[in-house]
Amino acid sequence: MAKHMMTLTVNGDVYELMVSDNQTLLDVIRDTIRLKGTKRGCTTGACGVCCVNNAKGEAVLSCITHALEWDGESITTIEGLEANGELDAIQKAFIEFGAVQCGFCTPGVIMSAKAIVNKYPEPTEEQMNAGLAGVLCRCTGHVKVKEAVRQDHELREAARHAAAK
Amino acid sequence: MLLPDHQYVTTNSLKECLRLLAESREKAMVVGGGTDVIFNMRLKLFQPDVAVSIRKLDELQQVEELTNGGLRIGAGARLADLAEHPAINDRYPAFAESVRAVASTHIRNMATLGGNICLHTRCAYTNNSEEWRKGLNSCFKTEGKICHVIQTSSRCLAINNADTPLALIILGAVLTLQSAGGSREVPIAEFYTNDGMDNTVLRPDELLTHITIPPVSDRTAFLKLAPRQGMDFATVAVAARCDGTGEKVSKVSIVVGSISTNPIILHEPSRIVSEQGLGDEAISAAVDSIRDELGPLTNLFSRASYKRQMANVLVRRVLVALRES
Repeated sequence: MAKHMMTLTVNGDVYELMVSDNQTLLDVIRDTIRLKGTKRGCTTGACGVCCVNNAKGEAVLSCITHALEWDGESITTIEGLEANGELDAIQKAFIEFGAVQCGFCTPGVIMSAKAIVNKYPEPTEEQMNAGLAGVLCRCTGHVKVKEAVRQDHELREAARHAAAK
Repeated sequence: MLLPDHQYVTTNSLKECLRLLAESREKAMVVGGGTDVIFNMRLKLFQPDVAVSIRKLDELQQVEELTNGGLRIGAGARLADLAEHPAINDRYPAFAESVRAVASTHIRNMATLGGNICLHTRCAYTNNSEEWRKGLNSCFKTEGKICHVIQTSSRCLAINNADTPLALIILGAVLTLQSAGGSREVPIAEFYTNDGMDNTVLRPDELLTHITIPPVSDRTAFLKLAPRQGMDFATVAVAARCDGTGEKVSKVSIVVGSISTNPIILHEPSRIVSEQGLGDEAISAAVDSIRDELGPLTNLFSRASYKRQMANVLVRRVLVALRES
């Protein structure tokens, strides 16, 4: 398999990578860069656990896209949410509401949830449902996840007020 | 898990892309968002030598407002962008609805309109892993000579599950197909064939580049029924259009999708309501006449009998929606 040079920014870090034609973005994230937070599930776009955010903060599936398609682009994975050792508000909300069971889908669910609050800071029920429909939790369901997404805004506001004081 | 071996090529101009398609023909496959092509590559249903990416072709991602009030949409435009496009929502609400009905938010953030129009057909047998498929003999799609959906069939009966073409058909959209040798315009109503294997008239050296929608002031509606709303392919989807106001109409068109190898334009039900209006009785008469026009098919996730029943329900609902719009 021919390999090509590509540049990919992951969580703010720039990687110069040698990538083959038949590698997907997920293969590169997990096996080349070795960030194992992003999970490999169905690999056909049905389950959503491979979800990462693109440069616009939208949820995309890394398992059904050629890695080379992303040359020069920037993405965020689950590892990129925490800053300076502190978890992102959405991660804290997931912990607070127990929106996790076995944890396998959690990176994909959190990145999908993150994409929702990126676009709609105070999402409606419909916006949450639409944003979470493409990612499947195998064991619990989306009720606690939605409670966590609702909490994200409050946590963010609280942190903003605390910083302002 | 790597994809099957193939060459990946990014094209930087439409000309370069068309030249590559002309050279590679059947061995090449165009990749827009990748969500259908890579899915099929995973299942080993597509095994192209070359994957030709059109993502960098800006001219295929524009939405152009035409002076006659219509729109010309690049085939590479993302569904997520089209779903929120003001002119599309304003001028063609049923089309906007059909765009939002496609798959999930995640998929719409990647998938293109051209990809949905050229979506490969799906079926309960082939849409499983290669290992699973080994339990039965090969079918038309996997180099065999039978169809597992209907064994006596002489052609592949996989289903066209695309949502957006239904709305585009009632709107009278025209597709621009370009090749290195030239360009042709094909009304989307004539784009599909009844062969699940080779389900469009697009030639291997051609690329769907633009979708032109003429100005439409008629009432339109789109409805989709799926096992899981916000994710799945349709069990049945329907789009309809009519002139007039309230029950008064003189021309109604109805298209049903996800029920056959191609979208089905319903002639008799349309004729009944066009002549008799959108009153309850006329709608019931129209629904009663659907059966004769739907082929004997089955598919993914649901039985033919269920699909048939739901086609009746959706056609009734869509006609009521038109009446009330």
